[in-house]
Amino acid sequence: MKKNNKIVLQFIAVCLFAMVLISGIGQMTTYADTPYKTYTIDGYGSINETMSAYLPVETITKFGEESLSGPNDLCVTEDGEIYVADTGNSRVVVGDIEGNLIKIVGEGTLKTPMGVYVTKDKHIYVADRDAESVFEFDSAGKLLNQYGKPANPLYGESLSFLPIKITVNDAGVMYIICESNTNGIVEISPTDGGTFLGYFGTNFASSDLMTIISRTIMTDEQRAKMVSNIPSTPDNLAIDDKGLIYTVTRGDETRTLKHLNIAGTNLLGDLDYADIPAAVTAGNHDNVYVVDQKGYIYEYNNDGALLYVFGGPDDGTQRVGLSTIITAIAADNSDRIYTLDSDKAQIQVYGSTEFTDLLHEALYLYSKGRYTESKEPLARVLEMNSMFDYANQAMGRAYFQEENYDMALTYARLAKDYRGYSDSYWEIRNVWLKRNLVAVLFVCILLWAVVKLIKYLDKKKQILAKPKALGAKMKENRVMSNLSYAKYFMRHPIDGSYGIAREGRASWAAPSVILVIFILEYVINKYLCGFLQKTVREGRYEIFSDIGLVLIVVIGLTICNYLVCTINEGEGTVKKIYTYFCYSLLPYVFLTPVNFILSHVLTSNEQFLINMMDMLITGWVLVLAVLAIKEVNNFTAAETAKIIALTIFTILILALLIFIIYVLWAQVFQFISAIFGEVVYRIGS
Amino acid sequence: MAPRIKRLISLLAAAALFVASAPAASLYATTIDSETEAGAEGSESESPADSSEGTDDSGPATGRIPESEWITIKDYKKVAESDTYIMYLYEPRLSIMLENKKTGAIIESTLSDEKDDGTSNKTWTGYMKSGIVIYAIIKATNTYQVDLVNNKNELKYNYTDNGFSVDIYFEEYGFRLTVEVTLEGDELVVRIPEESIEEEMIDSERYISNISLFPFMGYTYLDDQEGYMLVPDGNGALIYLDDKEGRYNNGFSQLIYGRDEGFDYSKVETLLWNRYQTVTNANKVIAPVFGMAHTGEQQAYLGIVEKGDTRASIEAHPNGVSVNYNRCFAKFLLRDVFIQPLNNSNSGTVQNPERDRTHTDLQVRYILLSGEDADYSGMAVSYRNYLLDNGLVTAKDTAYNTRVDFLGTDREEFLVSTTAVTMTTTDNIEEIYGELQDSGVESLLSVYKGWQKGGIYSVPIKKYKADGKIGGTSALTKLIKESAEKNYNLYLYNDALRMNATTNMTTFNAVKMVNKRTLKEETRAQVYDTFYYLMPNKTNTTLNKFAKSYTKNGVNNLALAGISDSLFSYSSQGDFYGRQDCADSYQETIAGLDEDLNLVLEQPMSYLWNYTDAFLDMPLGSSDYMYLDEEVPFLSIVLKGILPMYSDYVNFEANKTEFFLQMVESGVYPSFYLTYENSSALIYTNSSDLYSTEYSIYKDTVVEYDKALREVASAVEGAYITEHTKMENNVTKVVYDNGVVIYVNYSDSEVSVDGMTIDALSYKVGEAK
Repeated sequence: MKKNNKIVLQFIAVCLFAMVLISGIGQMTTYADTPYKTYTIDGYGSINETMSAYLPVETITKFGEESLSGPNDLCVTEDGEIYVADTGNSRVVVGDIEGNLIKIVGEGTLKTPMGVYVTKDKHIYVADRDAESVFEFDSAGKLLNQYGKPANPLYGESLSFLPIKITVNDAGVMYIICESNTNGIVEISPTDGGTFLGYFGTNFASSDLMTIISRTIMTDEQRAKMVSNIPSTPDNLAIDDKGLIYTVTRGDETRTLKHLNIAGTNLLGDLDYADIPAAVTAGNHDNVYVVDQKGYIYEYNNDGALLYVFGGPDDGTQRVGLSTIITAIAADNSDRIYTLDSDKAQIQVYGSTEFTDLLHEALYLYSKGRYTESKEPLARVLEMNSMFDYANQAMGRAYFQEENYDMALTYARLAKDYRGYSDSYWEIRNVWLKRNLVAVLFVCILLWAVVKLIKYLDKKKQILAKPKALGAKMKENRVMSNLSYAKYFMRHPIDGSYGIAREGRASWAAPSVILVIFILEYVINKYLCGFLQKTVREGRYEIFSDIGLVLIVVIGLTICNYLVCTINEGEGTVKKIYTYFCYSLLPYVFLTPVNFILSHVLTSNEQFLINMMDMLITGWVLVLAVLAIKEVNNFTAAETAKIIALTIFTILILALLIFIIYVLWAQVFQFISAIFGEVVYRIGS
Repeated sequence: MAPRIKRLISLLAAAALFVASAPAASLYATTIDSETEAGAEGSESESPADSSEGTDDSGPATGRIPESEWITIKDYKKVAESDTYIMYLYEPRLSIMLENKKTGAIIESTLSDEKDDGTSNKTWTGYMKSGIVIYAIIKATNTYQVDLVNNKNELKYNYTDNGFSVDIYFEEYGFRLTVEVTLEGDELVVRIPEESIEEEMIDSERYISNISLFPFMGYTYLDDQEGYMLVPDGNGALIYLDDKEGRYNNGFSQLIYGRDEGFDYSKVETLLWNRYQTVTNANKVIAPVFGMAHTGEQQAYLGIVEKGDTRASIEAHPNGVSVNYNRCFAKFLLRDVFIQPLNNSNSGTVQNPERDRTHTDLQVRYILLSGEDADYSGMAVSYRNYLLDNGLVTAKDTAYNTRVDFLGTDREEFLVSTTAVTMTTTDNIEEIYGELQDSGVESLLSVYKGWQKGGIYSVPIKKYKADGKIGGTSALTKLIKESAEKNYNLYLYNDALRMNATTNMTTFNAVKMVNKRTLKEETRAQVYDTFYYLMPNKTNTTLNKFAKSYTKNGVNNLALAGISDSLFSYSSQGDFYGRQDCADSYQETIAGLDEDLNLVLEQPMSYLWNYTDAFLDMPLGSSDYMYLDEEVPFLSIVLKGILPMYSDYVNFEANKTEFFLQMVESGVYPSFYLTYENSSALIYTNSSDLYSTEYSIYKDTVVEYDKALREVASAVEGAYITEHTKMENNVTKVVYDNGVVIYVNYSDSEVSVDGMTIDALSYKVGEAK
């Protein structure tokens, strides 16, 4: 019986095997692992690994018996039909995800179809480069219209019409990207057999300050020799369900992806971009996908924030989901992504995972302002990846809406969402103040009373006599005395400078103490200040380089200033110069603790207070330093200006010198290591 | 003080000497550079070699051979016969043919003239029609194909009762070796004894690079025959013998037991934004097997690389990869070329062949399968029997456990040093254990990572000393002992391979590659970005010392990683060691530890299966190579009922339902990687890739998986899988030898099979009728 069973099973297996052979397309529909990692970007803009967002589900190498040849574009309709611009075979192939052939369009008509777009009523628009035309077919494949080069003189008479990519809005207006036409996207309305409406979404030639300056001083000949400053043509485009156009342009860096409104204005800001963007397509959840020619797929939300980047180039190991040269991307109704690999002549389909589905739902609700509803899917996203910063940010905002400010603060900080953090903190502080205002006032009054009392008692009974005597005794110590002199210098720089120059107030110890305190405060303020003031990544510490930097600046300044002063008959010695530079830092030493405390209690709204303090500190330090240079060296105002300019120049020269020495030493080390490598090689063989 | 000054002076003198001799040396260096360049150019134009197959694709096709000149079975002579098979031999090509006495099915070892479609060039024709193909290295960079058709050779045959041996001599190259072929019942054993391999070095520059034995064993032409090839990728995968229409440029070609990190192969890496690696590593070949099944004629074989496996690759190439034939075989690597850098910038390099070749016997055993056994389940069953019969694996306790691993501490940067990020303390674990027990989890296997002083990346671990942040050594000891009483076994994780470059300033014990440069593993992580490998002998002493201090405390659960799945060639004080030396050293170390300890190994390679109580991190999928047509749980079928197998971590799986079903199908037990604290605390540590580990999130999943999979496991406890079939409608049927049948439905709809209805994305445990 069992044996019989086995034979039956075997028969079934053989049948199954045969069936599989006949069907001829990717049989492995599921993969436990992906051959690529998925990354997301955190609030600092650094990249972190996350759960697989999309898995390769299907590889379509041919439709029925029809293989593709160097295909360049594809379009997927709502009902799942796949239209491929099969450039090498001069046709458009229509099939489905199972690899069945539905129809072939445009055979005999098309020459080199580079772009294809299908409207909701299944009209097929084909951008044919070598035919210099856009063809419109109906759903049965019958040619309806052919649009050639617009006759309108505004198009540019000398320009040829080489359409390579096309998209069409609901009104039938065509947006066409033409090869070697840098004026922008060609916009043609279907009326009167094609009316040229104008250029759309023109990119601007980038011109930096250097170019502008050099252009103004160059001769015409020189200008002609410069690389022409022509704006780049968009590489591809797509249309979203509101009829707005997305474009991708190579070389536009942070503006690679643009979302253009009717007026052709970009709605997106700077974003993390694909190096060689090949194509773009709109998703179903206010999201957009961009694919890099090398195979990296980027998903952005409607703000242009990067959600995922995954996929990648095939390193020769031929693993499913990695690509060679991608030319097109499309997304269908069930969030599947289709990429077209022109080198492999195949379509790779990626399906979204549970994780991505949740995120899409949450982001959709969040973008619609339904914060509280979005919390449930967000919580599940964060369960799966607690470091997903967009979810953290949305979660923080959702809590903020619910007036749970503590949680909002926590999530905002995790997400590095400064605005959200500031808002939540403002609320928390508000609540605290309301609750504790009376107590705070009471404490203030109490403190004031205690001080008054002590002063009163001191007057009457000299209870502070001993501490005062101790203070006086300490001032006898030279270092202490000099330190308190520094305080005097801060308030009376001109008199103070005189003391440094003439009264033996220059020393090594006291300035060094100030310098050490300065470094300490600098480091503490840099790493432990309030979250909103932080300029460094949390958890990142580079203390040694900070200390080194301060020391190098102070020592370099001292040496250079001394060198310049001595040849200009200045009276400063190294000790004096060191002293006044260190003493000049005193305003920072006194005021930074205030700044530090402020940074912990202020929100973005009161940020100006801290900025003002910063300006005060900087100004004061500079005034002290300049006055000290003048007075200690006994210079006139003009001389002082000259000395300062010279000092800066000397510092630059010194830096150059150090750089040259460094380079030379690096050469020496490389030389020695080459000898060592040689010796290893010789001994080895 | 004086000696120090003296030393300083001598150092200075040495430096001066160096500087003085430098111009001469640097001149030398430039000459070598130019030589290499010329050589490299030469290799491009002359050499017919490429990395995988090494045969010239240029040159005209040879055309079909007229039928009158065909070498047919009439030209073969019968050389051995067993109860089931007859072996024939055609001497000039060392071509054997096996005939199944019962069915008449034939397995050919070389391309027959009849099936030669004539589209290949002379070199390829020689390759396909020769029973042995050797690649020779000449002048370090050029490789040449040496075969029995195109190269002058002398063959001397000696016949025995059940086979023959042949002494082969290639006079152009001066290579001499003996091939022994014996038919033992249903098994064919081919062997090249180590001592028979000779390189005469006619002009001292001709080395054997690699040897392929019967590279066309059981080949088929395009889609002539139904069937598939089995490749040991991941758990196991099949390449169908259908017409691939030239879609693939290369086939499966992987070194058994993984890449050799001791060679500084130039890696072509394309990084996202020039910084991030997006492509994941492919699976390692865990077991030295490959197979070919002609399911139409019900004839198959399983090839086992018995000797020389540490430095051999499994090759399985479908049609369209250079030629129109499907073939699989083992390629033995004897000597490789390595790159010797001459300076730090790698601008000057020379290529060198290894000084010595690999010294092991080369042996492949073909287990012939016919009838109902001629499929991948049959291969798996025969491999299991082979392992058991030869004592390569012994049955262990396979009782069900859910595996829940914990991360103790890791480090993040703080001020000038690092500070601990504590994720799970011993108290936390005790609490978690308590809760799980209350929820009905009867038994557990846990691996505790990052328990040691200094956190998870404070490696190597020299003694049993727990980090104070997790509760300290005595708390840990107490936890291990107490939880063992309730059948919760906590194993301490020890990566015995890696050495942290930051915490261990000495590179003295670090592995040097074949080119004498320190082997570095770059992690691109935040805190510790470089790791070295510990010398195998150092690993041995460190581990033993550790084990001693460990057992002294009365605990002996150890989870070993790193050395369980890595093999490399290395150099030490002027001597060179091969992968076999490395394997021997690790095997000895692990065998020694296994005597005193309860040892579990992380993804152990097949030569270590005997020493582990469990197989951790059993892959359930493949590496997704395009040419793979189907994934099959080959290793699971082999090991189910012998070794308990634990999956990769469930928490990082994006599609959990499917992963769960795969575990049911392959009899693999689930694994979780948990922390008590939220994983966002890890963001600035080296473990920042652990993005989802918090216990409170996964508690319910753990309990749920435990309940379901424990029930499945109890039905098949200790039983072997006898048959694994993929049926219609995405249903998989797994038959156990105790009569239990498990059906797994991967489809989105309810399916009826064998009178049973299985829900969508679900499974059912039944009895065989």
